[in-house]
This record gives sequence, C-alpha cells and structure tokens, in this order.
Amino acid sequence: MELSMSGGALRTFARCVTCLARVGSEVALQAHPAKLELHTLNSSRSAYASVSLARDFFDQYHLPASGHAASAPPSTPLQCSVLLKSVLAVLRTPPAALDRLAVSLPDPDAPKLQFILHCLNGVRKTYWIACSAESEVQTLALDRSRFPSHLVVRPRDLTRLLSNFQSSLQELTIIATDPAAGLPDAGGDVGGKAVELRSYNDPAKDDCDTRLHTQLWIDPAEEFMEYVHTGDPVDVTFGVKELKAFLTFCEACEVDIHLFFEKAGEPVLLVPRFALDDGSSSDFDATLLLSTMLVSQLIDSNVAQQPATSAQLAEEPRTGATPSPVPENVSNHTKIWSELSGIPSCGTGHHCSTPKSFEANREIQAQERNASASVLNHTSMLPRVINAPCKPPVADNANNTKVISANPRSQHHPSNWVGADDNDDDNEVDEELLVQTTPHYMD
Amino acid sequence: MSSSTSGRDDDAPELVCQIDCVHGMVDALSSARWKRHQDAVMELSAHGIVVTVEESGCLQAKVFLKRELFLEYEFAAEGRPRFGLSLGLLVDCLNTFSAPGHSSEVEIRYPGPDMQLLLKSVGSPDACMYAEIRTRIPDTVPWDYHFEHAGNTPVNFAIKSAILKESIDDLEWPGSTIQILMQPDPPSVILKGDGHGDLQVEFPYYANTDLLIAFQCDREVSYRYKYKFLRATTSNIPSSVMKENRGTKVQIGRGGILKVQHLVSVARPGMQYYRNAAGGAQQPSRIAYIEFFVKPEEDVNDA
Repeated sequence: MELSMSGGALRTFARCVTCLARVGSEVALQAHPAKLELHTLNSSRSAYASVSLARDFFDQYHLPASGHAASAPPSTPLQCSVLLKSVLAVLRTPPAALDRLAVSLPDPDAPKLQFILHCLNGVRKTYWIACSAESEVQTLALDRSRFPSHLVVRPRDLTRLLSNFQSSLQELTIIATDPAAGLPDAGGDVGGKAVELRSYNDPAKDDCDTRLHTQLWIDPAEEFMEYVHTGDPVDVTFGVKELKAFLTFCEACEVDIHLFFEKAGEPVLLVPRFALDDGSSSDFDATLLLSTMLVSQLIDSNVAQQPATSAQLAEEPRTGATPSPVPENVSNHTKIWSELSGIPSCGTGHHCSTPKSFEANREIQAQERNASASVLNHTSMLPRVINAPCKPPVADNANNTKVISANPRSQHHPSNWVGADDNDDDNEVDEELLVQTTPHYMD
Repeated sequence: MSSSTSGRDDDAPELVCQIDCVHGMVDALSSARWKRHQDAVMELSAHGIVVTVEESGCLQAKVFLKRELFLEYEFAAEGRPRFGLSLGLLVDCLNTFSAPGHSSEVEIRYPGPDMQLLLKSVGSPDACMYAEIRTRIPDTVPWDYHFEHAGNTPVNFAIKSAILKESIDDLEWPGSTIQILMQPDPPSVILKGDGHGDLQVEFPYYANTDLLIAFQCDREVSYRYKYKFLRATTSNIPSSVMKENRGTKVQIGRGGILKVQHLVSVARPGMQYYRNAAGGAQQPSRIAYIEFFVKPEEDVNDA
C-alpha cells in the first residue's frame, strides 16, 4: 500500500489521529480499494471510533492488485495495526510545515509501517513504526437507520452546554422526550424543555467529584439544529471523554455533530454532519460508537434492583428492570434532587445548578405541603416524598447502580444528607454552614 | 593593557571588565547548560573569557566571550588565570542583574580578597547590586579535543540552528544512539536513530537551496553518538538564535569527534555600539561563539 496526502487533507488526517488517540491506544488500518479505514477501541471496550478516508482524499493511493496478496484471499483488505502514540510522534511536525506525507506498507506481512514527511524546508523525515502482531480491534458497523431518534448540534453549542458541567465529569445522561407530547406546565420554566442533560455519578466512587450533580434542561428547538424523538422518554448514559474528543474533532473540521440514539443499553452513534450544499459527499467520514448504561435513569425506583453494568458494544442484552407502567411526564422524572447538602426545611436537598431546577424544587415543596396527588401525573416517587418529609427523598434513579455498589438500593450517599435527626455521617457540614436557599427566583 | 609595574601589586585585580548587556551574556552561557549542576572552568586571558563545561569525558562545551564584546576590558595578569565555579550559579547570578527597565551594565572583577569572582552593577547612580561567587581550584584540566580534520579535506556542513534543533528533538522518539552519516553522492546528511521505532532525518543538499548553507564531504563518513550528548548541543539554544535565523556549523573530525558551533548574539537590539579604546566607532560583531565537542560511540563505522 502506498499513499500520499498534502494540504488540507494532511491537516484533517492529523485531526483524525488526534481524535483516535484520545479514544484508544492502538489503531487498525484497513486499506480497501475505495477507501482507507482507521479503527480504534478503548480499553474498557465502551467506545469505538472509526475514520474512513475515501480514495479522493489522497493525492496518491495505490494498493497491490489482489492477485499479489498470495496469502490472503482477495476480499481481505490490507491490514495492519500500530500504536497511536507512535503515529502521534510522527505528526509532531506541524502540518503547516509539511509539503506532503507519504505512508507505505510494502506488503501485508511487513513488520513496519513507513511514514515519510517531506518538509517545506527541504528536510525529509522517515519514520518506521512497528506493526503489532495481532490486532485487537474489530470492525463494527451499525446501520444508522435502526436508530429511531437523533439530534444534530453544532460543536460550539455542545461545548457551551457541556461547560455547565464540571470538567471532571465522567459520564453524561441525555434524557430525551417527545417535544410534541403536551406537557402540563409544571413549574413554568421546565415545561417545554424536552431534553435534559444530567451528570451521572458512579455511586461507588466516593471522591469530591461525586458531590456535585448538575442537570440542564434545554429546548431542542433552540439548542439543536435538528431533533427527532417520538414516543416515550428515553435516556442514554455514556462516557464524556470520548465525546469531547469527537467534539474537538468536529469543531476543527467545522462540521456539525449528528447523534443517533435509541434507549438505555443501546449504543449511541455519533457522526459528523457535513453541510454540503452541492450534494457531493465528503471525502472523509468518522464514526464514534459509545455504549450506554444498561439501566435507565428513568426507571421507577420500586422496581427490584438488578445488578447493572454498562453494555458491552458487542452484546445487546436487555435489562431485566421493568419500565414504569405509566408513561410519565418528563417533569416528574427530571426533578430529582441534587445530593448536595443544603438547608432542608424538611430534609429535601436543593439544587444549586440552574434556576430552572430551582423552580422544580419549589414546585415539589408546594406539593409536599399540599400533599396532593398533584398537578403532575402520578408516579410512585411522589408518595414517598410526601410520606417521609423529613427523610431524604429517594431520587427516582435511586436503584440504578453499577455492580460494584455496596448498597444496591440507593444511589445516593447517606453522608450527603442532613437529616432532621442526627444520623448524618457527613461530618464536613456544620449546621451553621448549610447553604441558605436562594430567594425566590423571578417572582 | 597590562600593569606597568614590574612587581605586580598583589591587590591589583587580574581582570576588570564591563559588559553592557547582561542578558546577552546569560544567553551565551545558558547554551552550555544541559544539567542542573555543572562545574565550569573559567579561563581569563588578554583575548577574552572562555568558560568550559564537561561531562563524562565525552562531551565538552566552550563559550568564547572575546574582549570586543565588553565595554571595557582590562587584563593584568601573568599567564591565564583559571578557576572553577558552578555554571548554574554564575548564570543565575547574572540574571539577577538584568532587571527590565534598568541599566544592565555589570562590572566583573577577579580576583576578590578570597579569590572570588566579584560582580557589581554600574550605571545606576541610586543603587548598587553587588555579588561575589566563590571559586575553586579546578580538579581537572579540561580535555583539549585537538580537533583535527580527518583526511585531507574537512567534512562539515552548516544548517540553520532551528532546523538542527528540531531534528534532534524529533530523534528523541527512537531513543537510541544516533548515527550521523555524511555522503557525497547524493550529497546529503542523514541522522538516524533506531530504538523501539526507527527515524531517519535527511538533509539533502539539492532539496532546497536554503537548507544546507554549506556542505563539504568527499567520502562517506559515519559515526554514532549517544543521544543525550547530541541533544545537549542544541537543547538550550537561546531563542534569539532562532529569531535571527542563525546557522550552526557541524564538523566531523578525526576519530569521529563531532564539533558543533553556534553563534549567539550578545547585543540587545537598540543597544549603542561599542566604542573601542582608540575612540573610533565601529560595528563590532557582537557574537559569542559556542562550541560543543562530542566523542563518538565505540563501535565506529569507518568510512
């Protein structure tokens, strides 16, 4: 295989490699007659990234005629696997200083992949990178049409939304509801925001990062360029690190992000959305496949707990947890309480993140006082809140834990709650230092 | 200029000199820094000051500060006084004299009452900074590399310092000894490293007229050098060298001794020119020369 690229293609190639390097440690190259593919899988097998470069992407692209590959049948593409760290070392020279880059693999069994950089100042740098004997990277392909829901967002908008979350956030939940479903206006600000982004904290980890929870309700009509979801609310929880790598990649290539999803447990698929007016297709494409948590954050907490793990990409099992019998109104499910210690007038925790959540907070307090079945559609969560006003309300996703959690029933940490009785383990919070509620917002 | 008294006055200093731009001197001396703690030998003569640093008998750096670089230079010693001091200490000390916005004229005097090197800021009427650095008798005589050309014609090339530095930085990745190969046909210089990966950096003579500023080679010459020594020759090149687009000359001598020469500008742009003792204005070369010598690895590939 011999290929060569220059100019804008070289810059794009460098960006692709940078993105892949943030996902996995090894890249598998597959040279097909019409395109070159680069695949990588992360170590926990929860993220798969793939880049496809069409023949036209390159200045030159030669493959050996299939007859020469004596050992491999003609249908097998030429393939080799190298460490991404090494490829990054090759690309240390900035693309702006390069005239062209040539890559060659003399034969399918060659032990080394050769990169030749022709610099503008005349220097010629030749790198030989050892190919790994066995590649662990498989090729995964998913048909986009199997996903019933999707959204398109501009990278800078998504960056802005993510900036509301702590930078050390590991996993994110997207809760998507049908914007057409008429929402009774419960609390004013939350109604009409069909999508929620929520931080997901692993209950088993007890470090400072898990003490901040963030929820963000957004109106897809304002934030997304496209949003399609019909039917019941669904949620997907996936890792943020690979998402950010893909985000950086799309931003640099000036393309929008197209995110396909189905429901908890099913992977989410991200691809760039090229805004090509003339109907032509781009000469490169990328795919990011992220596995999602099996257990939905929307599941009713009464359901018996099943040990849950993140879905492996290769499997598609369905969790045993039963979904709630009633299609809930989004407002109920999204009004979980932050587990920050706060002043509870009756033990309820308070959000500190957005004014919208504060509205929801007030709303629940009103409900407690009214002790009525409520303006909202019923869910089993509310009675619990009403019946035990001084105990910390169990979050509606209380039962969603990973296998390693010691307490299978509750996701939140007792130490986070300041109860009316003196059983709090949270010795960090002094009574006098409890956060005062902010004054009524926008009244 | 030397003292006219025949019996030398014991109190008279052997050297009193003044520099007008401390920053330039710091740049020049910093080029020879590749470790935190380095013992340097400073040698004073009528021609100027030479600071020599060595490591493990395989690597040596020499910084030449000729007398023309100084505002004033009064040398009054017999022979060439030599003393040892810490290079890092000297550089850090000089740095404290170069405060932005203040005149950075410094007077250097040797020896002090206890054989120290004395530094004093001059040019400011309000305040004076004063420093003294302890010196010691050097343990060893710096190796004189007796650089000679191998064969009849020298084998050397000159290239922009920035390109050489970048190439040597790239060669960190293979992490092994580096082979330097010069060949006449096609005329080119090749730097090769093979460790857990292989990298070859080529400077072809015909690739670009600006690449190799000079090239002399009549037969194939190839030697290997430890990467860390090669790296030391370019790791601390001051940024002024890059900005001024200066060149570095590289020569391979007898036995494979590698000699790398840099030019470091000592003057700050906008500084007034030096007026020599005769009173006439002249445009001097405000350049300090830095030379590195690197011994090759034992397994020498002969040409």
